[in-house]
Amino acid sequence: MWVWFAKLGSPRWFYELSGKWLPWLYAAMTLLMLVGLTWALLFVPEDYQQGHTIRIMYVHVPVASISLACFPLMAVAGAITLVWKMKLADMVAKCVAPIGLWFTGLALATGAIWGQPIWGTWWAWDARLTSMLIQFFLFVGVIALRSAIESTDAAAKACAVLAIVGAINVPIIKYSVEWWNTLHQPASSISFDSAAPNPPEVWVPLLIMIGAVYLLFIISLILRTRNEILIRERRSQWVTDLITRSQS
Amino acid sequence: MPTLQFSSLSEFVQMGTYSFHVWVVYLLFVLFVGYNLILPGVQRKQFIRQQKRRVARDAELATQAASRQGLNNRSAE
Repeated sequence: MWVWFAKLGSPRWFYELSGKWLPWLYAAMTLLMLVGLTWALLFVPEDYQQGHTIRIMYVHVPVASISLACFPLMAVAGAITLVWKMKLADMVAKCVAPIGLWFTGLALATGAIWGQPIWGTWWAWDARLTSMLIQFFLFVGVIALRSAIESTDAAAKACAVLAIVGAINVPIIKYSVEWWNTLHQPASSISFDSAAPNPPEVWVPLLIMIGAVYLLFIISLILRTRNEILIRERRSQWVTDLITRSQS
Repeated sequence: MPTLQFSSLSEFVQMGTYSFHVWVVYLLFVLFVGYNLILPGVQRKQFIRQQKRRVARDAELATQAASRQGLNNRSAE
């Protein structure tokens, strides 16, 4: 276990291993995305209140829920950086930030487009919406902080601390719909009964889309981390060899 | 079994009265997926091109230094 942990800290080892994972991840994501999108757009029954806008859920919910995974991941990577000074952990922490920013941004945008016909407004200072907006600005803050500090090590430490402190916002977002009874609806409970308000034909495609978007997140993170490894290790022999061998 | 919810293509495009909302969301999603998958590849290509130039420049400087070294050695003889 510890050997594995120490190896995982080696950027070169991660670069080579992740290169083998990528084709499988791409294949799984494409499959889930095709099934999920077809099901969501063509086969999900119209909602009795929301009509066809229910199809927006199959983009909005996966993107929003995965945006919530970004901050905890960044905080864990930050803690590993602070405790063990693992180089790879900081590279991952750096690469999660812009992805988290885009996921949060898309969740806010699709939420606004869904809110307009259903709530009658693009935006409200509702607890869920406001805490998501705070998450958006926290990502901006982490990215700005990193670019403001020239030394890689100092930037890694500062961003790790901000990530750990900022992660407090995640449970607030998660439970905002239960703690404050405002506009955004709470998560629905799932049911295997096809006569229930939330039958399998509604949530099964949602789970498929969540899986697809999770894979998208993982692939995007791996691709960005691989680039970061090449940039930080550009003086090492193995990266020079890789560059001279590559065609492009 | 899930059943097809639309009987014609125009019905599918109209999405009840919500064609704008539904299709803008899916358009944004497609752009988002494309951006997340394509951007790292573009950055990687740029980096490799830039580093290839650096490696070539370093090699050239090394040969220049070596030939200068050679000249110095000969003049010393």
